[in-house]
Amino acid sequence: MTRSAPGQEKAGSVLVVGSGIGGMQSALDLANSGLLVHMINDEPSIGGTMSRLDKTFPTGDCAMCMISPRMVESSRHPNIRMYTMASVTSVEGEAGNFTVTLKEKARYVDPDRCTGCGACEEKCPSRVTNVFNLGLDKRRAIYALFPQAVPNTRAIDPEHCLYLTKNVCKKCEKVCDAVAINFDDTDKEYELTVGSIILTPGAKTYDPSINQDFGYGRIENVVTALQFERLLSASGPCGGEVERPTDKAHPKRLAWIQCVGSRNEHNANPWCSSVCCMYAAKQSIIAKEHDPEVEATIFYMDLRAFGKDFDKYIDKAKNDSGVTYRRAMVSQIIEEPETLSPIIHYIDEDGKRIQETFDMVILSIGFEPREQAAAFAQTFGIETDDYGFAKTSKLKPVETSRPGVYVAGIYQGPKDIPETVIQGSGASARAMSLLGESRGKEIEEVVLPPERDIDGEEPKVGVIVCHCGVNIAGTVDVEKVAEVAAEQPGVAHSETIIYACAPDGQQKIRELVKDKGLNRVVIASCTPRTHSPLFQDTIREVGLNKFLFELADIREQCSWCHKEDKEVATQKAIEIVNMNVAKTRLLDPVTQNSVGVNGAALIVGGGIAGMTAALSLAEQGYGVHLVERTPKLGGLLNQIRHNLEGDDVQQYLGEVKAKVEASEQIEVHLETTVESTDGFVGNFTTTLSNEERIEHGAIVIATGGSEYQPTEYSFNESDSVITHRQLEEMLAENPPDKDHTYVMIQCVGSREEPANYCSRVCCQDALKNSIAIKKQSPQTQVIVLYRDMRAYGLKEDYYKQARDLGVLFFLFTPDQKPVVVPNDEQGCTVTLDGKVLGTEIEIDADYVVLSTGLRPQEDATEFAKKYKLTCNVDEYFLEAHVKLRPVDFPSEGFFLAGLGHAPKNLEETISQSLAAAGRAGALLSHDSLTVSGVISKHNRQICMSCLACFRACPFDSPFIDEDGMVSHNEVKCTGCGICAGVCPAKAFQVNFFRDDQIEAMIDSVTEID
Amino acid sequence: MAAGEEEKGAVESPETKPTEIPPDWKANIIAFACHYCAFAAADLAGVMRLSYPPNVKVIRLPCTGKLDQVYIMRAFERGIDGVFVAG
Repeated sequence: MTRSAPGQEKAGSVLVVGSGIGGMQSALDLANSGLLVHMINDEPSIGGTMSRLDKTFPTGDCAMCMISPRMVESSRHPNIRMYTMASVTSVEGEAGNFTVTLKEKARYVDPDRCTGCGACEEKCPSRVTNVFNLGLDKRRAIYALFPQAVPNTRAIDPEHCLYLTKNVCKKCEKVCDAVAINFDDTDKEYELTVGSIILTPGAKTYDPSINQDFGYGRIENVVTALQFERLLSASGPCGGEVERPTDKAHPKRLAWIQCVGSRNEHNANPWCSSVCCMYAAKQSIIAKEHDPEVEATIFYMDLRAFGKDFDKYIDKAKNDSGVTYRRAMVSQIIEEPETLSPIIHYIDEDGKRIQETFDMVILSIGFEPREQAAAFAQTFGIETDDYGFAKTSKLKPVETSRPGVYVAGIYQGPKDIPETVIQGSGASARAMSLLGESRGKEIEEVVLPPERDIDGEEPKVGVIVCHCGVNIAGTVDVEKVAEVAAEQPGVAHSETIIYACAPDGQQKIRELVKDKGLNRVVIASCTPRTHSPLFQDTIREVGLNKFLFELADIREQCSWCHKEDKEVATQKAIEIVNMNVAKTRLLDPVTQNSVGVNGAALIVGGGIAGMTAALSLAEQGYGVHLVERTPKLGGLLNQIRHNLEGDDVQQYLGEVKAKVEASEQIEVHLETTVESTDGFVGNFTTTLSNEERIEHGAIVIATGGSEYQPTEYSFNESDSVITHRQLEEMLAENPPDKDHTYVMIQCVGSREEPANYCSRVCCQDALKNSIAIKKQSPQTQVIVLYRDMRAYGLKEDYYKQARDLGVLFFLFTPDQKPVVVPNDEQGCTVTLDGKVLGTEIEIDADYVVLSTGLRPQEDATEFAKKYKLTCNVDEYFLEAHVKLRPVDFPSEGFFLAGLGHAPKNLEETISQSLAAAGRAGALLSHDSLTVSGVISKHNRQICMSCLACFRACPFDSPFIDEDGMVSHNEVKCTGCGICAGVCPAKAFQVNFFRDDQIEAMIDSVTEID
Repeated sequence: MAAGEEEKGAVESPETKPTEIPPDWKANIIAFACHYCAFAAADLAGVMRLSYPPNVKVIRLPCTGKLDQVYIMRAFERGIDGVFVAG
């Protein structure tokens, strides 16, 4: 191995430590940008925390269905090398050239030989507590971490294997036909040279047995939320039928207790874990979907639904699922001796002591750094904060204290999936900036075998029917479906498979194509929307054109909907498969053209989001056009002096502006707007309002938001009613008067119609300014009137600090808001309903400070229309996928950052802008892109140039050519087929959706016996 | 239901006098669904474990703009009982 000394050329590779959703995002972005990635994790499978979840908020999507394709993609990516059961033992060198030593534990199963069949597991006599299912069931000593594990090579647990501990047994070896068991396996050590390191190790969850008030570990029907997640999961210990641990009965009365292990500096962790409010709502909704008789109660302190569309999800839990939310402190849980049901003791809002019996109690446990966090930090030579999370600045959220080492996900502070994904892309953007010059240096080109010419061959269709564990096979008789398919004309082979998408399943598909000489493939499994690309790649790897494949959706559209009647479901599955076989028989290979990529980006919006993205892209080596409609860069941030954590925001903003203005690669267009954009991913042409035309390959929408201008609480009638912006200005000029009283009112213009969402930043604003007042003048009275203090994550420290400094917090509800009456001269009288003190309170306020929320730009929907983007009901731009694609738009080449996406603070905006730059950079790193194969093909021979297509096409693909006849620009074509629908001569046919192919499907389901 | 019977009478053709609808008869329905919305919605129904009658078969189109009148006519000609276009 060659080692490069410091000062030498930078390495073209990155080490990603951790392979949960954040690590995979970093790895895939980096790998797609031409860098080689070494991805390591300490478990036998990649997937991390998300692979343990059943569903995700606020969409209710299946976690495994989302993460599984990512896991497979990561494991298949030619630029990613995976090391499982591995850890880093030492890191030397510096940014650009690190030397890393890895230790990979013995697996005792040879990954090159293991087929993942699981025969060994069945024979293993050693039962071990299943850590993946949080101790709810047992696994064997030879095991796969979970059914969809990647890699799915089994591993032997040396602490429980009878041979490795007592020198007896070896049953696995006897049963393994693949001769994959290797008891002589040893730990291995590797030394790697990498240019950068990204840390995404995730976190662990709090162990509630430490504090016995809630009886965890003693009362069996008290479980943690992560255990409940496994109980809900179809691949969990009770197959998705929630069972009570003591009697296996379906529990009806369920209670969630929030903030277990969080927001409790005395007995547990002081921080807020950010996700528990939302996952409790999700679990209660899903539990109710499983069993309509479920009655759910959630005991909480503050309802922290601060993310995009989160409040709406809470409303759904309350209104549609009938979840009871009880703001109450739970003092203890005891066990009913006969029924073993937990009894919750709590104090309600009126101060009464109450006991309530439930069938099961779920503890909403939070996150904390992993056990080895201190040693981990030491290995990588980075600093941590007081709690053990990686230390970062709010202005450089993905940078650790060691240059070249970046961080993403929960190790940087508690956060949810999309924020982890955002930081994953953001961290990769930083690494791309560092290593831009070494892109492509260490990777090998993907060499695919030449495509097999199937011209003239009779159709030989292979049909593979997936069990999807029990997802399909539990309802549909998959063997029968395969048998019937075998009888269809053109079918050469038909069989079933346990998991088609697992690596061994795909290997099986590749073998079948080769061994049986198949020239077309139908897989009957899940939806083509997520899984077609995977299988298309699989058959391409063995020389079949990607378009000789179709997916028959018998899970989402069959087994999951017709659970109640297995016979009917089987019949429908047969019909679905036969339809797709009929189409597939007629499929032809499709050639995909490629187009060049213009290596520049257009960024719309010159606020901190746009500038951050611009600088990152420039550092990566791309040209940037930054368009700002006002005369000044900086956007809303120009009005802010400090953030909650006390950073000098104006100084930072000044530095960023100076860098942007000094960069040779960034061209700033002030007082300019975008008029129109033509073209397609990789090749856009945008005309600006000054008629300048710009060529670019990607576009980042960072158009920002606006601050709500209040009319409530006599804002327009009294100078004593101000906003936090005004207060911050006042405090900067004069210290507060010690005799003054400030009353802050939260949620002004937020969380109620017409802006029924949380603006996320206002609680932070109120904490920031109340702490500033109290620090300057401890005698000044500060009272915050709030609905829920949303000091999420590590911001909880500041909520505590404010309380310690003597800031008073009084609760109000939207139906009984405080009343502000301006006094004749100065100040106001604020009256508040007596919910907390039991009596109405009247406050003489010198200043009433309104915590005004954020709003989208007034012209956001108009702007969205220009680019055919969509907005949510609150007029924030809608990303491609709420969980896994938070900075992409559905239209290729379009990326999103900042307040246009949703309200967020400065740190989150910076992360998202880096992420957008990382995603855009990965795109721009390519010299050429392959155009989609599903496009409309125009036959000029039979075209009558009637112009029906010309008028109907929304993408301007058909055009009048020089000869006056219609021609078709295939690069602009999206394959919607509107032209084909309107063409009277049938001169247009859409690849893969040709008329004869659709008609074959119609004929298949209309065949009369 | 009077309205329903009237409607039945209206579609009666002289050649084939409609017989009693057998009690176990189920309509055979084809749905043409846009890949991006209605097909995604059908997937979502599955994800949410919503139950609906099984006698509807979905044909995925890249967009409902791709729908051709010929598809509908062909389906009816071949005895389909209903066509559902969603997108």
